[in-house]
Amino acid sequence: MTDTPVLDVQDLHVTFASPRGDVHAVRGASLRVMPGEVVGLVGESGSGKSVLGLTALGLLPAAPEPRIEGTAMLDGIDMVTAAEDERRARRGTYISAVFQDPMGSLNPSMRIGRQVAEAAGGATDEEVAQMLAATGIPEPEHKARAYPHELSGGLRQRVMIAMALSRHPRLIVADEPTTALDVTVQAKVLELLADAARERGVALLLVTHDLGVAARICDRIAVAYAGRIVEEGTCAQILSEPHHPYTVGLLASRPKLDGTIAGGDLPTLPGRPPDPRNPLAGCAFAPRCPAADTECAGPVPNHALGERRDECHHPGVLTRWPEGGPHAGRKDPILLKAPHPAQAPAMIPATPPDPAVVVRGAVRAFERPKPFPFAKRPEPFYAVKGVDLEVPHAGSVAIVGESGSGKSTLLRMIVGLLEPTEGEIELGPGAPPQMIFQDAGASLTPWMAIGKQIEERLIALDVPREERERRVLATLEAVGLPGEAATAVPRALSGGQRQRAAIARAIAVPPALLACDEPVSALDVSLAAQVLNLLCHLRETLDIALLFVTHDLAAARAVADEVVVMQQGEVVERAPTEQLFTDPQHPYTRELIAAVPDVTEVEVAA
Amino acid sequence: MSTVTPDAPPTTGLTEGALPVEGPGAPAAAKVPGATSKLWRGRRPITPGALSGDTVWHALIPFFVLSFVILVAPVFAPYGSTDVTSAGALHAPTSGAWFGTDEIGRDVFSRVLIGMRVSWFSALGVIFLGTIIGGLIGAVAGAFGGKLDMVLMRITDLFLSLPAPVLAIAVVAAMGPSLRNTLIALSIVWWPWYARIVRGEVRALAARPHTEAARLAGVSRTRLVLKHLLPGAMAPVIVTMSLDVGNLILALAGLSFIGLGAPPPAPELGAMSARGLQYLFGHPWVPIAPAAAVALLALAANLLGDSINRRLDQRTTR
Repeated sequence: MTDTPVLDVQDLHVTFASPRGDVHAVRGASLRVMPGEVVGLVGESGSGKSVLGLTALGLLPAAPEPRIEGTAMLDGIDMVTAAEDERRARRGTYISAVFQDPMGSLNPSMRIGRQVAEAAGGATDEEVAQMLAATGIPEPEHKARAYPHELSGGLRQRVMIAMALSRHPRLIVADEPTTALDVTVQAKVLELLADAARERGVALLLVTHDLGVAARICDRIAVAYAGRIVEEGTCAQILSEPHHPYTVGLLASRPKLDGTIAGGDLPTLPGRPPDPRNPLAGCAFAPRCPAADTECAGPVPNHALGERRDECHHPGVLTRWPEGGPHAGRKDPILLKAPHPAQAPAMIPATPPDPAVVVRGAVRAFERPKPFPFAKRPEPFYAVKGVDLEVPHAGSVAIVGESGSGKSTLLRMIVGLLEPTEGEIELGPGAPPQMIFQDAGASLTPWMAIGKQIEERLIALDVPREERERRVLATLEAVGLPGEAATAVPRALSGGQRQRAAIARAIAVPPALLACDEPVSALDVSLAAQVLNLLCHLRETLDIALLFVTHDLAAARAVADEVVVMQQGEVVERAPTEQLFTDPQHPYTRELIAAVPDVTEVEVAA
Repeated sequence: MSTVTPDAPPTTGLTEGALPVEGPGAPAAAKVPGATSKLWRGRRPITPGALSGDTVWHALIPFFVLSFVILVAPVFAPYGSTDVTSAGALHAPTSGAWFGTDEIGRDVFSRVLIGMRVSWFSALGVIFLGTIIGGLIGAVAGAFGGKLDMVLMRITDLFLSLPAPVLAIAVVAAMGPSLRNTLIALSIVWWPWYARIVRGEVRALAARPHTEAARLAGVSRTRLVLKHLLPGAMAPVIVTMSLDVGNLILALAGLSFIGLGAPPPAPELGAMSARGLQYLFGHPWVPIAPAAAVALLALAANLLGDSINRRLDQRTTR
């Protein structure tokens, strides 16, 4: 490839001023995208990947005034130093963007067709319809007259892609374009994006936290960590022989669809990404790296050979991430099961313990509003249509399905947040069920200290006052939070810590059943693995049954003994976990499994 | 059916182990290593970004300072509100009487200072009353929802539809003109706005997962409203209160200008400019001084309200 790159970022530094010190978001990152190439920029939150993408687009927010050094050459101009009107001229014609939230990027009060025409710099209705059809939107003439809220998430994202392609740009920057979509939709949109780019010879820079997503469509992958590109190479190179230990860890901590079931021992990356306010002089990953030595504190090397590049002091030293990580097999002494007063003397129960929950024929209907006053009330909407389910004592069941499958409604009925329209929900003995929400930040009261919120549950179950403080601290320790977290309000904690705090509240008095609604889908891969491990660990030590609702089959596989697949309010398949993945019966299950972005699949293909 | 036993023995599960405890029935102050007693029971934690009590107090400091100045200013007034000076009636401003004297020889400067205090604190009083009544109704309506919500909000709408001057005329006609009756009339038309704000905020918060999580944790209904819902409505309510002070000062002055305030000897700014209007061309200080005081108060209140708004509005600080 002797062409000039469409995007050439050299030694980029981006620093934001904040009241608590400068935030070094990008610290000397270099990245090239050649014409027609599909490049994945992979990293966890805080790795600087989005800032890099925004810099290339010349769209960095002006509010926390960034200091930018280095160059980001695009079509012969430097997006760092160029004037705003020059940058604007490049956007749309030379470079386009697709963002995570299409609803936020589309004008809610303008019809889709007009927005596409506007993005194209003027287009006739037929041209607009063609553009929409090219992105796989059915009935394009009809959909062009729709408003954004009338379309599904997948269709909206297709509209965004149509708009991005409309001016025949040379480069599209897609920042987490499919993160908000269902798995099967995600797969389709990703393929569309990659195909559209390849057909037209448009280069694509895909910014994502998910190595699996990048592996699915990219030619080349760049791994970002703490504001630098720590490793770069072709997709196959990165996946089959990663040089940087961080890449090895990322690959390992992703729950997989094959191999042994982790059972709460998913490999995890210990620790947390470094504070962007105090970047380390040497390798930023060294504190979390199992292969780090004194040399790693020295200046970061740059090994480059053709397309392959890494910044590790000991490239390739780690081929497998150590099993389990530091939490594996750890048994918290404070959390060992207390003998139940009734069971403590050798009273061997003759019958197995009661199941944590039995659901019989659960139905939930939601009334629909009348279209106009005095109209006949429309048929109610059935979110759950007669589901039977049993979670055994201390068992673990996962419910998988896409949005609209009724899985969350079922979960909410089981914990008692919704009344079933018909059917029975019989809870086993013990403390009432608790729930872990997808957005831990939203499930904690923002102005109340964590300790207070945990204490509330102790109050509710009449734990004597003098015991509460000790219990709060013990619970925090059990979920891996420092005691100081008790005085912190949720906003002072990181995303992973917030989910731990929410779990702490739920298990302060261990419930018989812990219902988890997508507990890790908002978390970074390595954090997700930690939280999944924690849940499995708590299940073992506290005899808590887990009921796990997720769209992520790999996560379900990692924690559940049995998997229930739901579609449109009905259970279409249920099987022990291993069997479901090796021998799926229902076509929908097969579709779900095929849609999971899996890194191993590509390894074989490559 | 549910066979939950909510009062399961709390000893199940978390037990001491790593934590040293002085035997069963250990004293309340059992020491936990690395933690001072009452660790998390401390005062509100200060976290940047979070709307802590301190943020609210800091934002309100200028407001308290101004209120204090207005409160004590009349102490420095040279005359009482009804004292007749030796300068005589309608005397032009002098070094002894900065704003001159009115038609019966009272010191306009002293009356304006006292009148400002009356206006300012009357406005605050109506706002606090409105917040308490409206907040209570709004919180109940928002937290309980359903039929109760509908009934309470329709009553609120009923009061919202009353025009303030008409209601004031009715109250004054029924109970006689006095400052108290004017304030009653204003309170009646003012609280519904607060009921609406609080209800809206509470309903929005009640739909958040944190409310459901608290309910699942077994938090009682009263505690849920007081600790998990109402604090979230504080910021918009405080902002509205502060922006409303100016409105109320103007409303009060307006009512008293058309004769619906306190009867004559009382130093009320609206009434003072109304009665002084007839001297506008010969002795302009008589109506202009109280009118300017109204404008000044309203302006100060709005500026303060804006500054509080900027500091507490979570949409901008987030």
